[in-house]
Amino acid sequence: VVGSGILLHSAAAAWAELDPALELRTLAIDPQGGRAAWASALDSVELDGASAFVAVDAQFLNFRRLELVDVLRQRGVPMPPLVSSTAYVGAGIEIQENCWIGHGAIIQHGCRIGANVVIGAGAIVGAGTEIRDAAWIDEGVTVGREARIGANASLGLGVVIGHGVAVGDLSIIDKPGRIEADVAARTFIHASHTNPIVVTGS
Amino acid sequence: MPPQAYIDQAWFERERELLFKPLWQFVGLKVMLEEHNAFITRTLFGIPVVVQNFHGELRAFENICPHRQNPIQTASHGVRALTCGYHGWKFDREGAPANIPFEIELYRYPQQERDCLHLRRFALECIGNLVFINLSPEPMPIKQQLGAATIATLAQSSLAYDSEVIMTTYDARFNWKLVYENLRDAHHPLFLHARTLNKSATFKAILNEDALVGLKRMREEGIPDQARARALLRSFSGGGRDVPIDEPVPRYPWFDELVRYRDQDWYYNWLVFPNLHIASGTGGYSFTIEHHIPVGPDRTEMIVYFVTSKKKQPYAASTAVLHELMIGTDGILREDIGVLEQIQRTLHPDARSAHLGDYEYINAGIEQWYMDLMEGKIEL
Repeated sequence: VVGSGILLHSAAAAWAELDPALELRTLAIDPQGGRAAWASALDSVELDGASAFVAVDAQFLNFRRLELVDVLRQRGVPMPPLVSSTAYVGAGIEIQENCWIGHGAIIQHGCRIGANVVIGAGAIVGAGTEIRDAAWIDEGVTVGREARIGANASLGLGVVIGHGVAVGDLSIIDKPGRIEADVAARTFIHASHTNPIVVTGS
Repeated sequence: MPPQAYIDQAWFERERELLFKPLWQFVGLKVMLEEHNAFITRTLFGIPVVVQNFHGELRAFENICPHRQNPIQTASHGVRALTCGYHGWKFDREGAPANIPFEIELYRYPQQERDCLHLRRFALECIGNLVFINLSPEPMPIKQQLGAATIATLAQSSLAYDSEVIMTTYDARFNWKLVYENLRDAHHPLFLHARTLNKSATFKAILNEDALVGLKRMREEGIPDQARARALLRSFSGGGRDVPIDEPVPRYPWFDELVRYRDQDWYYNWLVFPNLHIASGTGGYSFTIEHHIPVGPDRTEMIVYFVTSKKKQPYAASTAVLHELMIGTDGILREDIGVLEQIQRTLHPDARSAHLGDYEYINAGIEQWYMDLMEGKIEL
Protein backbone atom coordinates (compact mmCIF):
# COMPACT_ATOMS: atom_id res chain seq x y z
CA VAL A 1 0.00 0.00 0.00
CA VAL A 2 1.64 3.20 -1.19
CA GLY A 3 0.35 6.62 -0.30
CA SER A 4 -0.59 8.85 2.58
CA GLY A 5 -3.42 9.96 4.77
CA ILE A 6 -6.66 8.35 5.79
CA LEU A 7 -6.93 5.97 2.84
CA LEU A 8 -3.46 4.59 3.50
CA HIS A 9 -4.33 3.88 7.12
CA SER A 10 -7.78 2.54 6.24
CA ALA A 11 -6.33 0.12 3.70
CA ALA A 12 -3.59 -1.01 6.08
CA ALA A 13 -6.03 -1.42 8.97
CA ALA A 14 -8.44 -3.42 6.83
CA TRP A 15 -5.74 -5.68 5.47
CA ALA A 16 -6.65 -8.68 7.62
CA GLU A 17 -10.17 -8.72 6.27
CA LEU A 18 -9.01 -8.39 2.66
CA ASP A 19 -6.81 -11.46 2.30
CA PRO A 20 -4.82 -12.69 5.30
CA ALA A 21 -2.55 -14.68 3.02
CA LEU A 22 -1.11 -11.52 1.51
CA GLU A 23 1.90 -9.94 3.14
CA LEU A 24 1.33 -6.25 3.73
CA ARG A 25 3.97 -3.61 3.28
CA THR A 26 3.14 0.04 3.54
CA LEU A 27 5.15 2.84 2.01
CA ALA A 28 4.20 6.33 3.15
CA ILE A 29 5.04 9.01 0.64
CA ASP A 30 4.51 12.76 0.51
CA PRO A 31 1.67 13.31 -1.99
CA GLN A 32 3.11 16.73 -2.79
CA GLY A 33 6.55 15.26 -3.42
CA GLY A 34 6.23 14.75 -7.15
CA ARG A 35 7.23 11.95 -9.47
CA ALA A 36 10.98 12.09 -8.84
CA ALA A 37 10.56 11.83 -5.07
CA TRP A 38 8.00 9.02 -5.43
CA ALA A 39 10.26 7.11 -7.80
CA SER A 40 13.11 7.47 -5.34
CA ALA A 41 10.93 6.20 -2.48
CA LEU A 42 9.80 3.22 -4.56
CA ASP A 43 13.44 2.31 -5.24
CA SER A 44 13.70 1.31 -1.57
CA VAL A 45 11.00 -1.35 -1.97
CA GLU A 46 11.24 -4.76 -3.61
CA LEU A 47 8.50 -4.67 -6.24
CA ASP A 48 9.18 -7.94 -8.08
CA GLY A 49 6.09 -10.14 -7.75
CA ALA A 50 4.28 -7.50 -5.73
CA SER A 51 0.93 -5.95 -6.32
CA ALA A 52 0.23 -2.41 -5.21
CA PHE A 53 -2.63 -0.33 -4.02
CA VAL A 54 -2.23 3.43 -4.34
CA ALA A 55 -3.85 5.18 -1.41
CA VAL A 56 -3.85 8.97 -1.63
CA ASP A 57 -6.72 10.96 -0.17
CA ALA A 58 -8.98 13.07 -2.35
CA GLN A 59 -7.05 16.15 -3.34
CA PHE A 60 -6.34 17.98 -6.54
CA LEU A 61 -9.46 16.30 -7.96
CA ASN A 62 -7.75 12.94 -7.43
CA PHE A 63 -5.09 13.72 -10.01
CA ARG A 64 -2.39 13.37 -7.33
CA ARG A 65 -3.41 9.76 -6.85
CA LEU A 66 -3.46 9.16 -10.60
CA GLU A 67 0.06 10.52 -10.97
CA LEU A 68 1.31 8.02 -8.39
CA VAL A 69 -0.65 5.25 -10.13
CA ASP A 70 1.14 6.19 -13.32
CA VAL A 71 4.55 5.90 -11.66
CA LEU A 72 3.72 2.38 -10.49
CA ARG A 73 2.21 1.42 -13.83
CA GLN A 74 5.43 2.41 -15.56
CA ARG A 75 7.20 -0.13 -13.32
CA GLY A 76 4.79 -2.83 -14.39
CA VAL A 77 3.26 -3.29 -10.96
CA PRO A 78 -0.30 -4.69 -11.08
CA MET A 79 -2.86 -2.79 -9.03
CA PRO A 80 -5.88 -5.03 -8.44
CA PRO A 81 -8.92 -3.56 -6.72
CA LEU A 82 -9.30 -4.01 -2.97
CA VAL A 83 -12.77 -4.92 -1.72
CA SER A 84 -13.46 -5.24 1.98
CA SER A 85 -14.84 -8.64 2.91
CA THR A 86 -17.58 -6.84 4.82
CA ALA A 87 -18.70 -4.90 1.76
CA TYR A 88 -21.62 -6.15 -0.32
CA VAL A 89 -21.06 -6.21 -4.06
CA GLY A 90 -24.07 -7.23 -6.15
CA ALA A 91 -24.17 -9.38 -9.22
CA GLY A 92 -22.65 -8.46 -12.55
CA ILE A 93 -20.29 -5.79 -11.32
CA GLU A 94 -16.83 -5.36 -12.73
CA ILE A 95 -14.47 -3.38 -10.56
CA GLN A 96 -11.42 -1.94 -12.29
CA GLU A 97 -7.83 -1.59 -11.09
CA ASN A 98 -6.81 0.19 -7.90
CA CYS A 99 -10.37 0.64 -6.64
CA TRP A 100 -11.15 0.62 -2.96
CA ILE A 101 -14.50 -0.60 -1.66
CA GLY A 102 -14.54 0.07 2.08
CA HIS A 103 -15.94 -1.69 5.12
CA GLY A 104 -19.67 -2.26 4.96
CA ALA A 105 -20.17 -0.46 1.63
CA ILE A 106 -23.06 -1.66 -0.51
CA ILE A 107 -22.76 -1.75 -4.29
CA GLN A 108 -26.04 -2.94 -5.76
CA HIS A 109 -26.35 -5.05 -8.90
CA GLY A 110 -25.60 -3.74 -12.35
CA CYS A 111 -23.24 -0.96 -11.27
CA ARG A 112 -20.20 -0.04 -13.31
CA ILE A 113 -17.16 1.01 -11.32
CA GLY A 114 -14.26 2.61 -13.20
CA ALA A 115 -10.57 2.44 -12.38
CA ASN A 116 -9.12 4.18 -9.33
CA VAL A 117 -12.50 4.72 -7.73
CA VAL A 118 -12.72 4.99 -3.94
CA ILE A 119 -15.97 4.06 -2.23
CA GLY A 120 -15.71 4.70 1.49
CA ALA A 121 -16.98 2.65 4.38
CA GLY A 122 -20.73 2.44 4.66
CA ALA A 123 -21.41 4.14 1.33
CA ILE A 124 -24.37 2.88 -0.71
CA VAL A 125 -24.43 2.85 -4.51
CA GLY A 126 -27.82 2.07 -6.03
CA ALA A 127 -28.44 -0.47 -8.77
CA GLY A 128 -27.41 0.41 -12.30
CA THR A 129 -25.29 3.37 -11.31
CA GLU A 130 -22.07 4.23 -13.08
CA ILE A 131 -19.09 5.52 -11.14
CA ARG A 132 -16.49 6.72 -13.60
CA ASP A 133 -12.70 6.60 -13.27
CA ALA A 134 -11.01 8.21 -10.29
CA ALA A 135 -14.22 9.29 -8.60
CA TRP A 136 -14.19 9.55 -4.81
CA ILE A 137 -17.26 8.55 -2.81
CA ASP A 138 -16.76 9.43 0.84
CA GLU A 139 -17.82 7.34 3.82
CA GLY A 140 -21.56 7.03 4.28
CA VAL A 141 -22.50 8.73 1.02
CA THR A 142 -25.63 7.45 -0.70
CA VAL A 143 -25.91 7.39 -4.48
CA GLY A 144 -29.32 6.51 -5.88
CA ARG A 145 -30.23 4.08 -8.64
CA GLU A 146 -29.26 4.68 -12.29
CA ALA A 147 -27.15 7.67 -11.33
CA ARG A 148 -23.86 8.70 -12.92
CA ILE A 149 -20.86 10.05 -11.08
CA GLY A 150 -18.34 11.64 -13.43
CA ALA A 151 -14.63 11.00 -13.69
CA ASN A 152 -12.54 12.60 -10.92
CA ALA A 153 -15.68 13.78 -9.14
CA SER A 154 -15.76 13.79 -5.34
CA LEU A 155 -18.76 13.37 -3.06
CA GLY A 156 -18.14 14.44 0.53
CA LEU A 157 -19.59 13.32 3.84
CA GLY A 158 -23.33 13.55 4.18
CA VAL A 159 -24.06 13.88 0.46
CA VAL A 160 -27.04 12.02 -0.98
CA ILE A 161 -27.36 11.78 -4.76
CA GLY A 162 -30.88 11.15 -6.03
CA HIS A 163 -31.98 8.44 -8.43
CA GLY A 164 -30.99 9.12 -12.02
CA VAL A 165 -28.93 12.21 -11.19
CA ALA A 166 -25.77 12.85 -13.21
CA VAL A 167 -22.82 14.52 -11.52
CA GLY A 168 -20.41 15.85 -14.15
CA ASP A 169 -16.71 15.11 -14.44
CA LEU A 170 -14.30 17.01 -12.21
CA SER A 171 -16.97 18.16 -9.78
CA ILE A 172 -16.86 18.32 -6.01
CA ILE A 173 -19.93 18.18 -3.81
CA ASP A 174 -18.74 18.80 -0.28
CA LYS A 175 -21.87 20.10 1.37
CA PRO A 176 -24.15 17.71 3.25
CA GLY A 177 -27.59 17.36 1.70
CA ARG A 178 -29.57 15.90 -1.15
CA ILE A 179 -28.75 16.56 -4.79
CA GLU A 180 -31.82 15.93 -6.93
CA ALA A 181 -30.84 17.77 -10.14
CA ASP A 182 -27.95 17.11 -12.48
CA VAL A 183 -24.68 18.85 -11.64
CA ALA A 184 -22.69 20.20 -14.58
CA ALA A 185 -19.09 19.16 -15.07
CA ARG A 186 -16.52 21.26 -13.19
CA THR A 187 -18.99 22.44 -10.56
CA PHE A 188 -17.92 22.91 -6.96
CA ILE A 189 -20.47 22.89 -4.19
CA HIS A 190 -18.80 23.71 -0.89
CA ALA A 191 -20.34 24.22 2.53
CA SER A 192 -18.36 27.46 2.84
CA HIS A 193 -19.80 29.03 -0.33
CA THR A 194 -23.46 29.90 -0.78
CA ASN A 195 -23.59 29.32 -4.52
CA PRO A 196 -22.14 26.55 -6.67
CA ILE A 197 -18.85 27.54 -8.22
CA VAL A 198 -18.50 26.73 -11.91
CA VAL A 199 -15.51 26.67 -14.20
CA THR A 200 -16.07 28.15 -17.65
CA GLY A 201 -14.03 27.98 -20.83
CA SER A 202 -11.38 25.49 -21.77
CA MET B 1 -14.39 60.02 6.39
CA PRO B 2 -17.48 60.38 8.52
CA PRO B 3 -19.21 57.13 9.53
CA GLN B 4 -22.20 58.13 7.39
CA ALA B 5 -20.05 57.39 4.31
CA TYR B 6 -20.10 53.75 5.33
CA ILE B 7 -23.56 53.24 6.77
CA ASP B 8 -26.02 55.76 5.36
CA GLN B 9 -28.46 54.79 2.57
CA ALA B 10 -28.87 58.36 1.27
CA TRP B 11 -25.09 58.73 1.13
CA PHE B 12 -24.87 55.45 -0.77
CA GLU B 13 -27.38 56.65 -3.37
CA ARG B 14 -25.55 59.95 -3.77
CA GLU B 15 -22.34 58.01 -4.22
CA ARG B 16 -23.96 56.04 -7.03
CA GLU B 17 -24.95 59.21 -8.87
CA LEU B 18 -21.77 61.23 -8.32
CA LEU B 19 -19.08 58.57 -8.38
CA PHE B 20 -20.16 55.29 -9.96
CA LYS B 21 -22.38 56.49 -12.78
CA PRO B 22 -19.73 58.77 -14.29
CA LEU B 23 -16.94 56.18 -13.88
CA TRP B 24 -16.02 53.24 -16.05
CA GLN B 25 -16.62 50.08 -14.10
CA PHE B 26 -15.20 46.62 -14.57
CA VAL B 27 -17.96 44.18 -15.45
CA GLY B 28 -16.29 40.88 -16.38
CA LEU B 29 -13.70 38.96 -18.33
CA LYS B 30 -13.67 38.88 -22.10
CA VAL B 31 -12.51 35.27 -22.08
CA MET B 32 -15.97 34.37 -20.71
CA LEU B 33 -17.62 36.11 -23.67
CA GLU B 34 -15.77 34.67 -26.62
CA GLU B 35 -18.55 32.88 -28.52
CA HIS B 36 -21.69 34.18 -30.19
CA ASN B 37 -24.49 34.64 -27.65
CA ALA B 38 -22.14 34.28 -24.66
CA PHE B 39 -23.28 36.64 -21.92
CA ILE B 40 -22.61 37.77 -18.38
CA THR B 41 -25.00 39.58 -16.06
CA ARG B 42 -24.13 41.79 -13.12
CA THR B 43 -26.05 44.17 -10.91
CA LEU B 44 -23.93 47.29 -10.54
CA PHE B 45 -25.09 49.58 -7.75
CA GLY B 46 -28.60 48.20 -8.20
CA ILE B 47 -28.63 48.49 -11.99
CA PRO B 48 -28.99 45.12 -13.78
CA VAL B 49 -26.60 44.86 -16.71
CA VAL B 50 -26.11 42.24 -19.40
CA VAL B 51 -23.06 42.06 -21.65
CA GLN B 52 -23.76 39.91 -24.70
CA ASN B 53 -21.67 38.73 -27.63
CA PHE B 54 -23.34 39.31 -31.01
CA HIS B 55 -21.24 37.48 -33.61
CA GLY B 56 -18.03 38.63 -31.97
CA GLU B 57 -19.12 42.11 -30.93
CA LEU B 58 -19.77 42.84 -27.26
CA ARG B 59 -22.71 45.04 -26.34
CA ALA B 60 -23.91 46.12 -22.88
CA PHE B 61 -27.58 46.73 -22.09
CA GLU B 62 -29.78 47.20 -19.09
CA ASN B 63 -30.96 43.66 -18.36
CA ILE B 64 -34.66 44.53 -18.19
CA CYS B 65 -37.21 43.56 -20.80
CA PRO B 66 -39.18 46.71 -21.78
CA HIS B 67 -42.40 44.69 -21.83
CA ARG B 68 -42.87 43.63 -18.20
CA GLN B 69 -39.45 44.45 -16.61
CA ASN B 70 -38.36 40.82 -16.41
CA PRO B 71 -34.59 40.23 -16.50
CA ILE B 72 -33.76 38.99 -19.99
CA GLN B 73 -30.79 36.87 -18.98
CA THR B 74 -31.18 35.30 -15.56
CA ALA B 75 -27.95 33.32 -15.09
CA SER B 76 -24.69 35.03 -14.07
CA HIS B 77 -23.10 33.81 -17.29
CA GLY B 78 -23.78 31.40 -20.10
CA VAL B 79 -24.46 31.10 -23.81
CA ARG B 80 -28.00 32.00 -24.83
CA ALA B 81 -29.67 34.40 -27.26
CA LEU B 82 -30.85 37.70 -25.78
CA THR B 83 -34.42 36.50 -25.37
CA CYS B 84 -36.76 37.18 -22.48
CA GLY B 85 -38.06 33.96 -20.98
CA TYR B 86 -41.34 35.54 -19.85
CA HIS B 87 -43.03 36.25 -23.21
CA GLY B 88 -40.32 35.31 -25.70
CA TRP B 89 -39.20 38.76 -26.84
CA LYS B 90 -35.90 38.49 -28.68
CA PHE B 91 -33.48 41.44 -28.99
CA ASP B 92 -30.89 42.24 -31.62
CA ARG B 93 -27.42 43.79 -31.34
CA GLU B 94 -28.94 47.27 -31.25
CA GLY B 95 -31.15 46.31 -28.31
CA ALA B 96 -34.28 46.52 -30.46
CA PRO B 97 -36.91 43.76 -30.31
CA ALA B 98 -36.11 41.56 -33.31
CA ASN B 99 -39.07 39.34 -32.64
CA ILE B 100 -42.14 39.75 -30.45
CA PRO B 101 -44.19 36.56 -30.69
CA PHE B 102 -47.82 37.31 -31.61
CA GLU B 103 -46.99 41.01 -31.90
CA ILE B 104 -49.63 41.86 -34.49
CA GLU B 105 -52.32 39.70 -32.94
CA LEU B 106 -51.86 40.61 -29.28
CA TYR B 107 -49.71 43.68 -28.68
CA ARG B 108 -50.71 46.09 -31.48
CA TYR B 109 -48.24 48.79 -30.38
CA PRO B 110 -48.53 52.11 -32.23
CA GLN B 111 -45.38 52.63 -34.30
CA GLN B 112 -44.23 55.48 -32.08
CA GLU B 113 -44.40 53.28 -28.99
CA ARG B 114 -42.87 50.33 -30.83
CA ASP B 115 -39.88 52.50 -31.71
CA CYS B 116 -39.26 53.17 -28.01
CA LEU B 117 -38.97 49.53 -27.02
CA HIS B 118 -35.17 49.51 -27.21
CA LEU B 119 -33.08 48.28 -24.35
CA ARG B 120 -31.06 50.98 -22.64
CA ARG B 121 -27.54 50.60 -23.98
CA PHE B 122 -24.34 51.34 -22.06
CA ALA B 123 -20.92 52.26 -23.38
CA LEU B 124 -18.43 49.39 -23.33
CA GLU B 125 -14.66 49.24 -23.61
CA CYS B 126 -12.25 46.33 -23.47
CA ILE B 127 -8.77 46.68 -22.02
CA GLY B 128 -7.09 43.43 -22.96
CA ASN B 129 -9.29 40.80 -21.33
CA LEU B 130 -11.01 43.21 -18.97
CA VAL B 131 -14.46 44.47 -19.96
CA PHE B 132 -15.57 47.85 -18.63
CA ILE B 133 -18.89 49.60 -19.00
CA ASN B 134 -20.07 53.11 -18.25
CA LEU B 135 -23.62 53.83 -17.05
CA SER B 136 -23.51 57.50 -18.05
CA PRO B 137 -25.22 58.65 -21.27
CA GLU B 138 -22.13 60.79 -21.94
CA PRO B 139 -19.19 58.75 -20.67
CA MET B 140 -15.79 60.31 -20.19
CA PRO B 141 -13.02 58.73 -22.28
CA ILE B 142 -11.69 55.75 -20.34
CA LYS B 143 -8.18 57.10 -20.76
CA GLN B 144 -9.24 60.10 -18.70
CA GLN B 145 -10.11 57.79 -15.83
CA LEU B 146 -7.29 55.25 -15.89
CA GLY B 147 -4.45 56.89 -17.78
CA ALA B 148 -2.38 55.48 -20.61
CA ALA B 149 0.21 53.72 -18.44
CA THR B 150 -2.38 51.85 -16.36
CA ILE B 151 -4.34 50.89 -19.46
CA ALA B 152 -1.16 49.56 -21.06
CA THR B 153 -0.15 47.39 -18.10
CA LEU B 154 -3.72 46.12 -17.62
CA ALA B 155 -3.98 45.25 -21.31
CA GLN B 156 -0.64 43.50 -21.44
CA SER B 157 -1.11 41.50 -18.24
CA SER B 158 -4.73 40.52 -18.86
CA LEU B 159 -3.94 39.24 -22.34
CA ALA B 160 -1.82 36.62 -20.57
CA TYR B 161 -4.98 35.10 -19.03
CA ASP B 162 -6.05 31.61 -20.01
CA SER B 163 -9.59 31.02 -21.25
CA GLU B 164 -10.49 28.57 -18.44
CA VAL B 165 -11.86 30.53 -15.50
CA ILE B 166 -13.25 29.70 -12.07
CA MET B 167 -15.48 32.29 -10.46
CA THR B 168 -16.96 32.55 -7.00
CA THR B 169 -18.92 35.13 -5.03
CA TYR B 170 -18.63 36.31 -1.44
CA ASP B 171 -21.62 38.12 0.06
CA ALA B 172 -19.68 40.50 2.31
CA ARG B 173 -21.37 42.61 4.97
CA PHE B 174 -19.35 45.82 4.73
CA ASN B 175 -19.20 49.04 2.74
CA TRP B 176 -17.25 48.75 -0.50
CA LYS B 177 -14.86 51.56 0.47
CA LEU B 178 -13.44 49.49 3.30
CA VAL B 179 -12.02 47.13 0.67
CA TYR B 180 -10.23 49.73 -1.40
CA GLU B 181 -8.82 51.26 1.76
CA ASN B 182 -7.67 47.83 2.90
CA LEU B 183 -6.02 47.07 -0.45
CA ARG B 184 -4.07 50.34 -0.36
CA ASP B 185 -2.86 49.68 3.18
CA ALA B 186 0.44 47.80 2.83
CA HIS B 187 0.92 47.60 6.60
CA HIS B 188 -1.93 45.23 7.44
CA PRO B 189 -0.56 41.99 5.88
CA LEU B 190 2.17 41.93 8.54
CA PHE B 191 -0.49 41.37 11.17
CA LEU B 192 -3.74 40.23 9.56
CA HIS B 193 -2.09 37.88 7.05
CA ALA B 194 0.87 36.84 9.19
CA ARG B 195 0.09 33.16 8.71
CA THR B 196 -0.95 33.33 5.08
CA LEU B 197 -0.08 35.97 2.51
CA ASN B 198 2.77 37.52 4.46
CA LYS B 199 4.56 34.19 4.57
CA SER B 200 4.98 34.14 0.81
CA ALA B 201 5.70 37.83 0.16
CA THR B 202 6.72 40.47 2.66
CA PHE B 203 4.72 43.64 2.22
CA LYS B 204 6.19 46.81 3.70
CA ALA B 205 4.49 50.13 4.17
CA ILE B 206 6.60 53.05 2.98
CA LEU B 207 6.55 56.76 3.55
CA ASN B 208 6.61 59.11 0.57
CA GLU B 209 7.54 62.59 1.70
CA ASP B 210 6.85 64.16 -1.71
CA ALA B 211 3.37 62.66 -1.76
CA LEU B 212 2.73 63.94 1.75
CA VAL B 213 3.69 67.46 0.66
CA GLY B 214 1.28 67.14 -2.27
CA LEU B 215 -1.45 65.90 0.04
CA LYS B 216 -0.94 68.83 2.40
CA ARG B 217 -1.15 71.25 -0.53
CA MET B 218 -4.34 69.60 -1.80
CA ARG B 219 -5.91 69.93 1.64
CA GLU B 220 -4.97 73.59 1.89
CA GLU B 221 -5.68 74.72 -1.64
CA GLY B 222 -8.40 72.30 -2.70
CA ILE B 223 -8.82 70.79 -6.16
CA PRO B 224 -9.07 73.70 -8.57
CA ASP B 225 -10.90 72.21 -11.54
CA GLN B 226 -12.17 69.14 -13.35
CA ALA B 227 -8.86 68.59 -15.12
CA ARG B 228 -7.05 68.33 -11.78
CA ALA B 229 -9.84 66.14 -10.36
CA ARG B 230 -9.41 63.74 -13.27
CA ALA B 231 -5.62 63.80 -12.98
CA LEU B 232 -5.94 62.79 -9.33
CA LEU B 233 -8.47 60.12 -10.30
CA ARG B 234 -5.93 58.64 -12.71
CA SER B 235 -3.33 58.53 -9.94
CA PHE B 236 -5.60 56.22 -7.89
CA SER B 237 -5.16 53.36 -10.36
CA GLY B 238 -2.00 51.56 -11.38
CA GLY B 239 0.04 48.49 -10.75
CA GLY B 240 2.55 45.89 -11.81
CA ARG B 241 5.50 44.59 -9.79
CA ASP B 242 4.87 45.00 -6.09
CA VAL B 243 7.18 42.97 -3.81
CA PRO B 244 9.52 40.04 -4.42
CA ILE B 245 8.18 36.59 -3.54
CA ASP B 246 10.06 35.29 -0.52
CA GLU B 247 12.64 32.52 -0.90
CA PRO B 248 12.27 29.67 -1.53
CA VAL B 249 9.97 30.60 -4.38
CA PRO B 250 7.34 27.85 -4.70
CA ARG B 251 7.40 26.00 -7.96
CA TYR B 252 4.41 23.82 -8.80
CA PRO B 253 4.44 21.11 -11.49
CA TRP B 254 1.62 22.85 -13.37
CA PHE B 255 3.84 25.86 -14.00
CA ASP B 256 5.41 23.77 -16.79
CA GLU B 257 2.06 23.67 -18.59
CA LEU B 258 1.78 27.46 -18.83
CA VAL B 259 3.14 30.43 -20.73
CA ARG B 260 4.26 32.67 -17.89
CA TYR B 261 3.43 36.37 -17.75
CA ARG B 262 6.89 37.90 -17.58
CA ASP B 263 9.70 35.94 -15.97
CA GLN B 264 10.23 37.39 -12.52
CA ASP B 265 9.47 36.01 -9.07
CA TRP B 266 7.42 39.03 -8.04
CA TYR B 267 4.06 39.49 -6.46
CA TYR B 268 2.17 41.55 -9.03
CA ASN B 269 -0.60 43.85 -7.90
CA TRP B 270 -2.96 46.05 -9.90
CA LEU B 271 -5.38 48.40 -8.18
CA VAL B 272 -8.03 49.91 -10.41
CA PHE B 273 -10.11 52.59 -8.74
CA PRO B 274 -12.76 52.30 -7.55
CA ASN B 275 -13.46 48.61 -7.16
CA LEU B 276 -11.17 46.24 -9.03
CA HIS B 277 -8.10 44.47 -7.71
CA ILE B 278 -5.92 42.04 -9.64
CA ALA B 279 -3.03 40.13 -8.12
CA SER B 280 -0.58 37.45 -9.16
CA GLY B 281 0.97 35.78 -6.15
CA THR B 282 2.76 33.19 -8.27
CA GLY B 283 4.98 35.50 -10.27
CA GLY B 284 2.80 35.57 -13.36
CA TYR B 285 1.55 31.96 -13.48
CA SER B 286 -1.88 32.73 -12.08
CA PHE B 287 -4.11 35.71 -11.41
CA THR B 288 -6.83 36.58 -8.92
CA ILE B 289 -9.32 39.21 -10.09
CA GLU B 290 -11.48 40.71 -7.36
CA HIS B 291 -14.48 42.82 -8.27
CA HIS B 292 -16.14 44.56 -5.33
CA ILE B 293 -19.69 45.49 -6.28
CA PRO B 294 -21.58 47.84 -3.94
CA VAL B 295 -24.98 46.40 -3.08
CA GLY B 296 -25.92 48.60 -0.14
CA PRO B 297 -24.16 50.85 2.36
CA ASP B 298 -23.26 47.83 4.46
CA ARG B 299 -23.13 45.15 1.79
CA THR B 300 -20.67 44.34 -0.99
CA GLU B 301 -20.77 41.51 -3.48
CA MET B 302 -17.24 40.28 -4.05
CA ILE B 303 -16.94 38.39 -7.32
CA VAL B 304 -13.56 36.70 -7.52
CA TYR B 305 -12.16 35.11 -10.66
CA PHE B 306 -9.16 32.82 -10.78
CA VAL B 307 -7.23 32.15 -13.97
CA THR B 308 -3.82 30.81 -14.83
CA SER B 309 -1.66 32.29 -17.52
CA LYS B 310 -2.29 30.76 -20.96
CA LYS B 311 -1.84 27.03 -21.33
CA LYS B 312 0.81 25.80 -23.74
CA GLN B 313 -1.72 23.09 -24.57
CA PRO B 314 -4.72 21.58 -22.77
CA TYR B 315 -3.79 19.37 -19.80
CA ALA B 316 -5.98 17.05 -17.75
CA ALA B 317 -5.53 18.66 -14.33
CA SER B 318 -6.22 22.28 -15.34
CA THR B 319 -9.57 22.32 -13.52
CA ALA B 320 -7.87 20.98 -10.41
CA VAL B 321 -5.31 23.78 -10.60
CA LEU B 322 -8.04 26.42 -10.69
CA HIS B 323 -9.81 24.76 -7.78
CA GLU B 324 -6.57 24.71 -5.78
CA LEU B 325 -5.98 28.39 -6.53
CA MET B 326 -9.44 29.22 -5.30
CA ILE B 327 -9.13 27.17 -2.12
CA GLY B 328 -5.64 28.55 -1.48
CA THR B 329 -6.80 32.16 -1.73
CA ASP B 330 -10.01 31.62 0.21
CA GLY B 331 -8.25 31.84 3.59
CA ILE B 332 -6.64 35.21 2.79
CA LEU B 333 -9.89 36.63 1.46
CA ARG B 334 -11.77 35.49 4.55
CA GLU B 335 -9.17 37.13 6.80
CA ASP B 336 -9.84 40.42 5.01
CA ILE B 337 -13.61 39.94 4.93
CA GLY B 338 -13.64 39.05 8.62
CA VAL B 339 -11.87 42.20 9.78
CA LEU B 340 -13.79 44.48 7.41
CA GLU B 341 -17.10 43.06 8.63
CA GLN B 342 -15.92 43.66 12.19
CA ILE B 343 -15.20 47.29 11.35
CA GLN B 344 -18.57 47.69 9.67
CA ARG B 345 -20.33 46.36 12.77
CA THR B 346 -18.61 48.96 14.97
CA LEU B 347 -19.78 51.92 12.87
CA HIS B 348 -22.72 54.05 14.00
CA PRO B 349 -23.75 57.66 13.23
CA ASP B 350 -21.74 59.10 16.13
CA ALA B 351 -18.68 56.91 15.65
CA ARG B 352 -15.39 58.77 15.32
CA SER B 353 -13.68 59.00 11.96
CA ALA B 354 -10.55 56.98 11.20
CA HIS B 355 -7.16 58.53 12.00
CA LEU B 356 -4.86 57.76 9.10
CA GLY B 357 -1.10 57.72 9.58
CA ASP B 358 1.41 59.21 7.18
CA TYR B 359 2.02 55.82 5.57
CA GLU B 360 -1.65 55.90 4.50
CA TYR B 361 -1.10 58.91 2.27
CA ILE B 362 -2.74 57.17 -0.71
CA ASN B 363 -5.96 56.53 1.17
CA ALA B 364 -5.81 60.04 2.63
CA GLY B 365 -5.53 61.50 -0.87
CA ILE B 366 -8.44 59.46 -2.18
CA GLU B 367 -10.47 60.46 0.88
CA GLN B 368 -9.86 64.15 0.27
CA TRP B 369 -10.79 63.82 -3.41
CA TYR B 370 -13.83 61.68 -2.62
CA MET B 371 -15.17 64.08 0.00
CA ASP B 372 -14.77 67.01 -2.41
CA LEU B 373 -16.77 65.01 -4.97
CA MET B 374 -19.49 64.11 -2.51
CA GLU B 375 -19.74 67.70 -1.28
CA GLY B 376 -20.09 68.96 -4.85
CA LYS B 377 -16.79 70.87 -4.85
CA ILE B 378 -15.60 68.92 -7.90
CA GLU B 379 -17.35 67.09 -10.73
CA LEU B 380 -16.22 64.26 -12.95
